[in-house]
Amino acid sequence: MTSGIDELLLRQRLLVSVGPGGVGKTTVSAAIGLRAAELGRRTLVLTIDPAKRLADALGLTGLDDRIREVPTEELRKSGVAVPGKLYAAMFDNATSMDSLMQRVAPDVETRDKILRNRVYRAMAGTLARSHAYLAMERLHEVMSSGDYDLVILDTPPARNALEILDAPSRLATFLEEGVVKWFVRADKGRGWRAKIMQGSGAAAIKLFEVVVGKDLAHETVSFFEAFYGMREGFQERAAAIQATLRAKHTSFVLVSSSDATHLVDAEALATGISSRGVALDVAVFNRSYERLTHADPLAIVVDVGALEVDAATALLFEDDLSRSERETMRSLIASLHQVRLDAATHNLRALASVRRLARQLPPETLGLIIARLDGDIRDLPGLHALGPYLAAPRDIQS
Amino acid sequence: MFGLSGSLLDRRLLMFTGKGGVGKTTIVASLALEAARRGRRPLIVELGHRASMESVFAVDTIGYVPSEVGGGVWAMNLDFEEALAEYLEEHIPVKRVARTITRNKTLQKFFHAAPSVAEVATLNKLSALEGERGPQGYRWDPIFVDLDATGHAIMLLNLPSVMDGLIGDGPMRRLIDGFSSLLTDPRRTILSLVTLPLELPAQETVELYERLAKHHDVELGALFVNQVPPRPLSPKQAGLLDRLEHQARAFELDTLVDDVAIARRAMRYHANARAQINRLRRDIPLPIVELPTIASRSLDLETVSLMGQQTLALLDKGLEREPADLPAETGRRS
Repeated sequence: MTSGIDELLLRQRLLVSVGPGGVGKTTVSAAIGLRAAELGRRTLVLTIDPAKRLADALGLTGLDDRIREVPTEELRKSGVAVPGKLYAAMFDNATSMDSLMQRVAPDVETRDKILRNRVYRAMAGTLARSHAYLAMERLHEVMSSGDYDLVILDTPPARNALEILDAPSRLATFLEEGVVKWFVRADKGRGWRAKIMQGSGAAAIKLFEVVVGKDLAHETVSFFEAFYGMREGFQERAAAIQATLRAKHTSFVLVSSSDATHLVDAEALATGISSRGVALDVAVFNRSYERLTHADPLAIVVDVGALEVDAATALLFEDDLSRSERETMRSLIASLHQVRLDAATHNLRALASVRRLARQLPPETLGLIIARLDGDIRDLPGLHALGPYLAAPRDIQS
Repeated sequence: MFGLSGSLLDRRLLMFTGKGGVGKTTIVASLALEAARRGRRPLIVELGHRASMESVFAVDTIGYVPSEVGGGVWAMNLDFEEALAEYLEEHIPVKRVARTITRNKTLQKFFHAAPSVAEVATLNKLSALEGERGPQGYRWDPIFVDLDATGHAIMLLNLPSVMDGLIGDGPMRRLIDGFSSLLTDPRRTILSLVTLPLELPAQETVELYERLAKHHDVELGALFVNQVPPRPLSPKQAGLLDRLEHQARAFELDTLVDDVAIARRAMRYHANARAQINRLRRDIPLPIVELPTIASRSLDLETVSLMGQQTLALLDKGLEREPADLPAETGRRS
C-alpha cells in the first residue's frame, strides 16, 4: 500500500521540482530522493547550490558536479532500511558550461575558439539565462546513461523556473539556420539562396551593431560561427529534452511555502507549466504550519480552546510558589496560551492561502503540506523526518 | 550613522536587491507610499515580471507605461522586449523599420539570448526615466527599482566592465559611460539590500555585500532585515518554563505540555533570528533596519504604508528597530 508521493516515486523516471526561491526546494528535493532510495530505487538528485549543511549531509562538500553516492550507513544504523541507492551531484555554473563545450565541440580548434571568445566568456560569467539550459543538458546526459531508476532535478533558483522548459527550444531556435546563419559569413554557399542569406545576414549584423556596437557584434559573429558547426547536436538534444519533460514518466513537483509572496510566484509558475503542456502532478507546501500537538505532528491545528489561567496555576502549584513567582507563572501561562493562539491563527491563514492556490491546480494534483521543523535540516535523519509528510496526501482542494 | 532616510529619499534611483521571497516588493511598496505621503512623486520600476507588485496594490496589471497604483505611487514593469523596442526606435532613424524588426519573433529570440542586450536596454530605459522632466522639475522623484533577483544587480553593475573590452569609442561607448556614471554617482544612485534573519538568506547577503564592496563603486544604502520574529517570552517567564513543564507532566495536562514545547520552539526561532542579525551586523557595515513579522500575510495598503512610515522614521532617528522588543502579549510569529 503506497500513499502520498510513494506511488509516483515507484512509477516515474524523472521528477522536476520547480518553485520560487527561498521555500526550501532543494531540501524537499533531497528528502524526496531519500524516500525513493528507501523504497528501493536507484535515485539521483541533481541539485543546485544547496546550503552548506545540506551539502554536507549529501556528501557534496566542495564545489563539484561529479556524481557521488550518498552514504546511508548512519541512517541504516538508526533502523531505517535503505534498499535502494542515493546519488547526488551539484551543478557548478561556469565549469559546467566549459565542460559542456569540451564535450560537444567537434575538434580542439573549435573548442578553443569558443572557450577563448570574449562573448562566450562574458556569457559564461553571467550565466543567468543559460543556467537553465545547462541543467537540461546535464539532465539529458544522466537520463541517457541508464544508471538511475529515478532522477530528481532541482531546478535553478530563478524566480522564473519556466526557463527550464523554454531554454532548450530557445537555444535550438537560436541555432536554427534562420538565425545563426544570418550572422555566419555565408561564403560557402552559392546561388540565389546564399545571396539572400548574405543580404539578410548583413542587415542583421548591422542592426546588431546598432544595439551593441561594432566590436561586440564582430566578436558575437565569430562566436556564432564556432557554434554553427555544433547546431545539429544541440538541436537533437533539445528535441530529446523537450520530449523527456513531457513524457508520461515525468512529473513536475511544485514546491512553495504558505507565504503570500511565494504563493503568488507559485501560481504564476503553475499556470505557465500547464500552458506548456507539462503535467504538474504534485504540489508541496513546505514549512507551512506550526505543529501544535505532540501526539499528531501531521495535524494542522487551527483552533484553540479557552484557558483559565488562575485555575490552572492553582491546580498545578497550589501553594508552593512565592507571591512574585505566582505572578510570573500566571503571566507565563497566559503568554504560552497567546503563543499557541498566534500559531493557530497563522495555521488557519496558511491553510486558507494554500487552498486558494490549490484551487488553481489540476484536480488530480497530489497536495502535500510539511510542518515548520526545528532548525535547518543538516543530515540524512533530518531529511528522513520529512518522509511522513511526503507520504500523507492532503485534501487541499475542497 | 548618517541621516539615512533623508539621504535615501534624496537619491534619484533607489535600487533594492535580495533573494526572491524576502519581501523586497513589500518594502519597496512601503517606502514608495511613504515618499508619496511626504509629498513626493515616486515611481516604482519592477524588473522581471512577477505579479507581486500588483497584489500589494490590488491592481490588475502594471504595464510598461507608468500608471498610478494607489496612495500617490506610480508603478511600471520594465519589460525587456518593450525596452529593447524603444532602444531600437531611438537608434534606428526610420521608426517603421525599427518596429518591423522588433516585432520579428526570431530576432526577438536572438536578442533574448545575445549577451548584454537585456542590460543595455534596461539601463537605457532607467536612465531615460531618471532624466525625464515634468512641469516642476523631475517627473519621477524618486525612482524605486525593485530588482528581480540577487544576480540582477550584479549583472547591471557588471555591464560597463563586461563591455569595456568589447566596445571601442563611439555612440555605444558614450551610452555605456553614461550608465556607468549614473550607477556609480553616490548622489544619484543608492543600492539597498533586503534579507531575512535566516541562515541561508543571511549567508547570501553577506556574500553579495562582499562582492559589491570589493568590485563595484555603487553607493550602498541600508540593509533591511524583514520578518524579524518578536521575543515570545520574557527572560523571567522563560526561567519558570522547566517547573511548569514538570508540573504539567505530573498532572498529565497534555495541552500545557505542548504549549511549553511550542513556546520553546518560538524561543529558538527568535534566538536564531537574533544570531543571524548579529552575524549580519558583524559582516556588513551598513545601517541595519529590522522589520517585524506582520501577522497578516495578505497585506492591505494601509498596513504597508504604515510600515514605510515606521521604517523611515527609524532611519530618521538612526535606530535599527523599535526600542521595545515586546514579549508575547502583542507578539506574532509566522
